[in-house]
Amino acid sequence: MSKEYLGEFEELVLTMVGILGEEAYGNAIVQEIKDRLGREANLSAVHVTLYRLEDKGHVKSRMGGASNTRGGRRKRIFTITNAGVAMLKAMKEARTDLWKLVPQLKAVSV
Amino acid sequence: MNSQLHPPKRALRFLQWFCPPALYEGIEGDLLEAFENDAKEVGVKKARQRLTWNVLRFFRPEIILRNRFSIQLFNTIMLGNYFKVAARNIAKRKLYSFINAIGLSIGIAFCVLIYLYIEDERSFDQFHENKDYIYRLNEASYDTWAAQRGENVMRKTAYLPLPLGIAMKDEIPEIKYLTRFNAGGQAIFRYGEKVFTEEIAYVEADFFKMFTFPAIAGSPDQFFKDKHEVVLTPEIVTKYFGKEDPIGKVITLDIQGEKQFTVTGVVEAPPSNSSLEFKILVPLQNRQWYERNLEQWGSYAYPTFIQLHDKATVAQLQQKADTLVQQKMGDRLEEWRKDANIPAEYPVFQLTFTNLSNIHLDTEVSWHRVSDPKYSWILGGIAMLIILIASINYISLALTTSASRKIEVGIRKVVGAHKRQLISQFGLESLVLAFVSLVFGLGLATLFLPAFNEFTGKGISLVNANLFQLIGVTVGLTTIVGLVAGSYPALFLSGFLPATVLKGGFTSKLKAGFTRPLVVFQFFLSASMIICSVIMYRQMEFIATRDLGFDKEQVLVVPTQAGWNEEADKVVEQFRIRAETEPGITHVAGTSSSFNQGWSQYGYKIKDENKAAFVYRVDPAYADLLNLEFVAGRNFDERIASDSTAVVINEALARDMGWENPLEEHLNWREDSVGLGAKVIGILKDYHFLSLERTIEPMFLSMDKKNTGYLTTMLVKLSPGDTPEKLERVKKAWSALFPDKPFDYSFMDQDVANQYQAYTRWMKITALSTGFAIFIACLGLFGLAGINAVNRTKEIGIRKVMGAELTNIFMMLNKQYVWLAIIAFSLAAPVSWYVMTKWLGSFKYAITMSWELFAVSMFAGLILALFTVSYHAIKAALINPAETLKYE
Repeated sequence: MSKEYLGEFEELVLTMVGILGEEAYGNAIVQEIKDRLGREANLSAVHVTLYRLEDKGHVKSRMGGASNTRGGRRKRIFTITNAGVAMLKAMKEARTDLWKLVPQLKAVSV
Repeated sequence: MNSQLHPPKRALRFLQWFCPPALYEGIEGDLLEAFENDAKEVGVKKARQRLTWNVLRFFRPEIILRNRFSIQLFNTIMLGNYFKVAARNIAKRKLYSFINAIGLSIGIAFCVLIYLYIEDERSFDQFHENKDYIYRLNEASYDTWAAQRGENVMRKTAYLPLPLGIAMKDEIPEIKYLTRFNAGGQAIFRYGEKVFTEEIAYVEADFFKMFTFPAIAGSPDQFFKDKHEVVLTPEIVTKYFGKEDPIGKVITLDIQGEKQFTVTGVVEAPPSNSSLEFKILVPLQNRQWYERNLEQWGSYAYPTFIQLHDKATVAQLQQKADTLVQQKMGDRLEEWRKDANIPAEYPVFQLTFTNLSNIHLDTEVSWHRVSDPKYSWILGGIAMLIILIASINYISLALTTSASRKIEVGIRKVVGAHKRQLISQFGLESLVLAFVSLVFGLGLATLFLPAFNEFTGKGISLVNANLFQLIGVTVGLTTIVGLVAGSYPALFLSGFLPATVLKGGFTSKLKAGFTRPLVVFQFFLSASMIICSVIMYRQMEFIATRDLGFDKEQVLVVPTQAGWNEEADKVVEQFRIRAETEPGITHVAGTSSSFNQGWSQYGYKIKDENKAAFVYRVDPAYADLLNLEFVAGRNFDERIASDSTAVVINEALARDMGWENPLEEHLNWREDSVGLGAKVIGILKDYHFLSLERTIEPMFLSMDKKNTGYLTTMLVKLSPGDTPEKLERVKKAWSALFPDKPFDYSFMDQDVANQYQAYTRWMKITALSTGFAIFIACLGLFGLAGINAVNRTKEIGIRKVMGAELTNIFMMLNKQYVWLAIIAFSLAAPVSWYVMTKWLGSFKYAITMSWELFAVSMFAGLILALFTVSYHAIKAALINPAETLKYE
């Protein structure tokens, strides 16, 4: 894989974009992180990360349709790109490879 | 949506302001959605708070700068090339670069100096650790005289009765420390062989606990336990003790008689930005009349400083202090109210408190080194004007020399440069030049700092300045100037159409109409400054040469150094006898105070009317020495016994009293209920015993020792010529007569001139900045004229071929500048007239602003401008037409 590297939070957000599919936008991701991991993510941090991922080419964005909620504002929907999927896969594999090298981790009882 | 459910508008507006439009909708939508959810879950109030907080968290560089700088403002690949071209251009057009750089450098140097000045003003007394808790007490009281003159009736002073401070410290628990600070006293300091008059300041033991003047030797907690202690500063230590250790040494101070003092400590001298100044500190108990004043509630002579306990507030203090004042001084104040007819709505005596940090800029209370913040504004304004003039130079020169850049712009565009790239290229060029100027400007500022200190009476040094901040400010300023001055030329230059410029339209005249208003504006600024300087100069000259009504030349002013007693009179008498044998001395006279060395004014009541007059104790020689003119009556005569209580008055006093025939009147200034008062024996023609800022007020001279004081000052009149040698002889005579008294002297004409020091200083500053402003403006004009001449080269060639004379061409080229100058002057005249009317208003005796002054200024300005532009006009007119026309 290339020199490109994702930070922990970037990877998390990218994964969430993958999970949410067509419904991935700022608030939904914050909510998803909270529901699945019980972790409070800040909306602005998520937005900034999404834009950074977009710059790197891992996601792309478009404006969704208007609705009655959100004061009539449209959602910016993010979708994962092929490069993004490849990136996630590469990172997962790299981690699995490393995991295999760790000699049989067990909880040792005294 | 529920109508209750409205998100905070201000937060959303803020978001809209900083957020790039492309991202705005998505972010706002998410925020609103979160808000709606929050409102359901935790309530509207909390939801609103969360939204605001979330908006603030979006205020981060990744969002704000997105799509602004991240998508490159200019191509970094070209950056190296831009620098190279900029450097070549600067090197190629040396004259224009020089004109621009020197103008900007001077502007920046001025700004740096003035920034230092303002910082210094702001830093006053900030070095005290306890500054937040230290206050100076002030007393505001109703001023009957001010009320009569229609001025502000409440007059504030920092001088308070001695027992008030003692009572306050004893009875008000909020006060942690209290000290009096009486500076400006004089004493004769003697150690071994060395005898000099020194300024001393009287303080109390708490002084060392309150203020941060670190001790170099001795322990501050122990200082002034005994009244025969003295604390010195390093300068005095070196002067008297050299390399010896001063601690424990016994010295003699002559304060109303010689007393011995032990040196118990050395503290660091106050820095130049301290409101409290001293060289020698002496316990307050040694001050003249201390014992007597302990019970004197009516003697206002002691500036008092307090330090509050950490938790105490000024409000608590105010309340307790008011009660205390009422309790201790209530009866006295009521009596005073009756005597002075103070209206019931005004307090007779009101204590107020000024925090230590604010003392320097509090102009309501007179205090040593207090300064008016308006001077900071004036100086700042001058700096801005100069930098504005320099920026205008840059703009007009860049515009008018742009012809030579046309082809470059054309080629760059053809090769594929965007307009935006060209703008950033030219912007960068002006920034480069601005930063070169910055370096020179900082150099100039360092060079001029000593002169600037002298002008402004400050002691600023770069060592003490906050260099980091200074550099930050100057770099910021330079960037702004570079960008502002560079933006218009950049827009103008980048707008050339490649097709037009590359086709070869070289004869086309450069159209830069915008430069003309700029030049008029520049001229207007310089013209205003010229007029102001001329008027200030004339006023100061008027003051210096005005007949004050007395002869101040060749008069030595010598303090008698004998204290406030009979001895002083004897000193004058002894010296007078001795002087009879000295051919160079024509008169010796004594007085209670000489010009600009203080005065005393007595208030008295005659027929239930409050009057006041200035009083000088003199001897019969006084009027002769000063060559005062008697309108009627006679001078004092020592042989007439009754003259010792008689008075010689001035015309103003006679007018004030409404006397028809003053020589038959008595002035009952001591409010004597038995006698008639002092007999008037002579009337003097009015002379300016005070500065020309004031009108001549009622005044009388007296020989009454008991009531008007002693001859603390001796005046020695020398015959004209060879002053240094005569001064030496006076000095010798003095040392022979009084070997134990130092000979301190000043010249009366200098004392008188010193009254106007502040004005002279400001005149010099204005003159200097006017000089620079004119210089920069002329440089710009010089450049412009050159370009104008080049633009019209062909025209001039054709005219010459057709038979035009050199003078015709000269006139043709210069006519427009004359017009520009005239327009600028007609704008400048009313502005400077207004400003100068205000300035002259502070003098009671001022010149009238005649049209001649304006005409002279205008003429001078015009000559200067013509002189500047002529070089190019003559040069252009002299070119052989064959040279300019052969290429067509």
